[in-house]
Amino acid sequence: MAFKAVPQKFAAKINALTIGTGEREISLGGENVFPFYSFDAPIENRPKIGIEIHDRGHYAGVPGMDAYYAGADTLAQTAKRAAAAEGADFLAVSFDGAHPDNGDRSVEDCVAAIKEVADAVDIPLVIEGSKHIEKDAKLFEKIAEALSGRNILVMSAREENYKGIAASVGLAYSQKIGAESAVDINLAKQLNVLISQMGVKSENTAMNLGSAAAGYGFEYVASTVDRVKAAALAQNDTMLQMPIVTPVGSEAWTVKESIVSQEDFPEWGPREIRGINMEVSTAAACLAAGSNAVILRHPESVKTISKLVSQLS
Amino acid sequence: MGLFDRVFRGSDQMYEKAVGEFEKTLAELGEGAPLQMPDTAYFMACIYAYQNRKITKLGDLREALDEIKARMVHEQRTGDVFSSGIASVMAAEVIEGCKYAGGRRPYEGTQYHGHFSDAEVRELGVPLVTQDIPGFVVIIDEAPSDEEAAALIKGYQNRGIFVFLIGGVIDQAARSKIQMGFPVRVVPVGQDIWAVGHIISLVVRAAMIFGAVAPGDWEAFNEYSFHRIFAFVNAFPPLPDITVACGAGAIAKGFPVITNVVENVWRVPKTIIIQENVADFIETSLEARDIKIKITDIDIPVAFSTAFEGEIIRKKDARVDINGARVDCFEWVRTKELHEVEDHRIELVGPDIDEFEQGATMAVGIMVDVAGRTMQSDFEPVFERKFHNFLNCVEGVMHTGQRDMIRVRISNDAFDAGFRIKHLGEVLYAKVKSEYDTVVDKCQVTIVTDTQQLRELRAEANKSYDKRDMRLRSMTDENVEVFYNCILCQSFSPSHVCIVTPERLGLCGAVSWLDAKATNELDPNGPCQVVTKKVVLNEEIGSWEDVNEAVAKYSHGALERVTLYSILEDPMTSCGCFECICGIEPASNGVTIVNREHMGITPLGMTFSEMASMTGGGVQTPGFMGHGKHFIASKKFLKAEGGIARIVWMPRALKDIVRDRLNDAAKELYDIDDFCSMVADESISEDPDTLLEFLTEKNHPVLAMSPLL
Repeated sequence: MAFKAVPQKFAAKINALTIGTGEREISLGGENVFPFYSFDAPIENRPKIGIEIHDRGHYAGVPGMDAYYAGADTLAQTAKRAAAAEGADFLAVSFDGAHPDNGDRSVEDCVAAIKEVADAVDIPLVIEGSKHIEKDAKLFEKIAEALSGRNILVMSAREENYKGIAASVGLAYSQKIGAESAVDINLAKQLNVLISQMGVKSENTAMNLGSAAAGYGFEYVASTVDRVKAAALAQNDTMLQMPIVTPVGSEAWTVKESIVSQEDFPEWGPREIRGINMEVSTAAACLAAGSNAVILRHPESVKTISKLVSQLS
Repeated sequence: MGLFDRVFRGSDQMYEKAVGEFEKTLAELGEGAPLQMPDTAYFMACIYAYQNRKITKLGDLREALDEIKARMVHEQRTGDVFSSGIASVMAAEVIEGCKYAGGRRPYEGTQYHGHFSDAEVRELGVPLVTQDIPGFVVIIDEAPSDEEAAALIKGYQNRGIFVFLIGGVIDQAARSKIQMGFPVRVVPVGQDIWAVGHIISLVVRAAMIFGAVAPGDWEAFNEYSFHRIFAFVNAFPPLPDITVACGAGAIAKGFPVITNVVENVWRVPKTIIIQENVADFIETSLEARDIKIKITDIDIPVAFSTAFEGEIIRKKDARVDINGARVDCFEWVRTKELHEVEDHRIELVGPDIDEFEQGATMAVGIMVDVAGRTMQSDFEPVFERKFHNFLNCVEGVMHTGQRDMIRVRISNDAFDAGFRIKHLGEVLYAKVKSEYDTVVDKCQVTIVTDTQQLRELRAEANKSYDKRDMRLRSMTDENVEVFYNCILCQSFSPSHVCIVTPERLGLCGAVSWLDAKATNELDPNGPCQVVTKKVVLNEEIGSWEDVNEAVAKYSHGALERVTLYSILEDPMTSCGCFECICGIEPASNGVTIVNREHMGITPLGMTFSEMASMTGGGVQTPGFMGHGKHFIASKKFLKAEGGIARIVWMPRALKDIVRDRLNDAAKELYDIDDFCSMVADESISEDPDTLLEFLTEKNHPVLAMSPLL
């Protein structure tokens, strides 16, 4: 009997979230099929790729990155380089240095730095915080105010600080919010519900479900993302239809394979290649599971994943 | 003259004043003079909000005034009073707006603030939305004395309430050396009553910014401020008609007015409140507007953190040993009426720790009285059980047990740091108020150490515990309206859904129907949701259409049907944290139950872990089922298969735990005495053959029952 393809497209779809302005504006999500199932229906917006920079400088000691960012002394200069990376759709700026344990950079300093960045580049901006609950709430509010009108995505509001971030970033300054939860469909949904109850429209929210580097419990991530997409599309669960944005670099570059030196593990080869491989394989797996955007560190990873995405969509 | 007439007369006065100011300013600056309130994108916000009219030049006010007049309908309907009130506020905005016409800055260099910028609206709006600022008060005119004015303002400041001042109270605050300004959250807005225009301008902009309310949507603005902005008015004499008119506007927006004026004022519950005692203004106001003050700090001399939860205090390190096994002790939550509870009153009846010798045994009874509009006495045991966690988090305090079997040790170090008995009350007060703020409005703690009184109180507490237990026992699946689900475990068992009923608690043993109910009310978006049971499919096996729908929804489609009382037909799934596993024993047609603690083998030839591997993970495995210990004596246990008479084997330790209740249930269901003696355990049998011999010898009822398979 001949195979008869039945297109599996759904009546429900993932919300399309736009970030950035003007010609560089991009949309995340919007599809009504499973990831890369372009044979079922066209993918509304291909998955997007972000390149991540840090207020405390890039990851020194990785020769390719050192070379790529050589001579860039300020965050704005670094941003300019990153924005020019082949395949980068948006720029993610992380403020690690604002964490009280990492130098406790003041909110004012961070705001001044991000303003310079915003003046230097026109690529859509995603703001990652310091991962310190209270500090981030203050930081995000002030950055959202300073970048009024730039349509930024702020990553992330968590259960402990979503109220302030939803009220300031989402409502007062009409920017976009990423809801960050542990890898758990119910916690993710609960946070989405809470944020929407604050008055932030679902269309203005993304989800960060968290991730794990490939080989470090990734099955867990894959099954959670899978279930989120299935609930969103097959069951039309409106509180899970937000596009998923997954920071990958922070996971991929902090596992053993990407950290240990070649001197200690000569048979493993150069550290940089290992790190890129970790980043590329994790990002590919996230996209295959259903992420609508990934955030990567190494320009080479950005290029590779961009090629993968364009050939698959 | 009635209240309505005062509002109408006041609104007419405001309108006349507005027209007068408008004409005067017009004569001075001309129709085309620009009229732009500083630093705002919302024009004259009250007029923009309620009339959807963008004022950009002075002449634009003419039509706005016409519409204001049209809104001042003077018929004796409540709606007209509200409409006139809002119109008065718009007229007030016109009066103030005229001062800004032609780019003037009327309040520069004065002590008054006047117009609020959009940045200030956002700065105040964010904490108002998140309730970090629990609300704001508008204080109008002069308090009876400077001292009372100062005490009132400081009282609000201490509670985090934002304060706006209008009129004479500003001078009183200045004379009392109260620091004023937007950053310190005490803002002197203006001298005259029309300064309220600035405050309502701020309120409507908050509605547009944070609530996306569309200009022109009159109802939506009032609705938004009623539900989202916790504001209220404190008005002092003389309270003229014009102020009363503005008060009507405030009330239309959901802001109650509290005043000490008695004459020509009519009480309206929750809306117009006469409080002659200025010292009670704050409490009256907060209650009228349903404002709950968040507790963030716990006032104790030692640290409070989960880090201390596991702290062990040895006998030699204990300053006192509070021991419920030896003396009269108890912890008791009591639901009271709102007026019976004085918030944050911590009372000690009897001697304190320092009156006891080092290492002495001490008797302590703690009564925590709570009151709240949505408080239910069913929550009492839920709170009480959390006391263990609360008190254990105190550095230098160790707590075990509950009810009248508590054991608390307070360390020498904590004592030396100044820790006394009342601090137990401070901790419980702060935690109950912050953790259960959705249902607890007021909380007071009484701690009794007087042994004479303790004896009587303990007996009384026990009566209350008994009453609760009775209620729990009398609750059946049939006599409640709804069940609850619990999906707490889905993080590791993604498709598992517990359906919690009065007669079938969660399989972990930790979530009873009451717990699930409380969890749902305290955290409405949390892991426990209401599951209705309106459409019965088969009551015998515990099957409802709505329960099936809930299971399908909460398992995200992984499960379609469950029965609550059957182990064979669509049994409820298990996550992995079941207290017990029940599995069919084919030789006897009965079931064996094994608890997690039991290490040995069962007559099924499997251990707990081996059985667990086929039961968990959120999949339905007919013939196996995870459940809580207390489900064993339930009349709903395997009801579809004939009930508890199917139980043929249990470890001895488990039998000891459930013996009394199981025997009672068997007596009631089958008129069998001492049913547990018919149930085998590891000392009798660990294989099917000896098990069957034993059952035959005991004439176990299962032998007469129809085959399971």
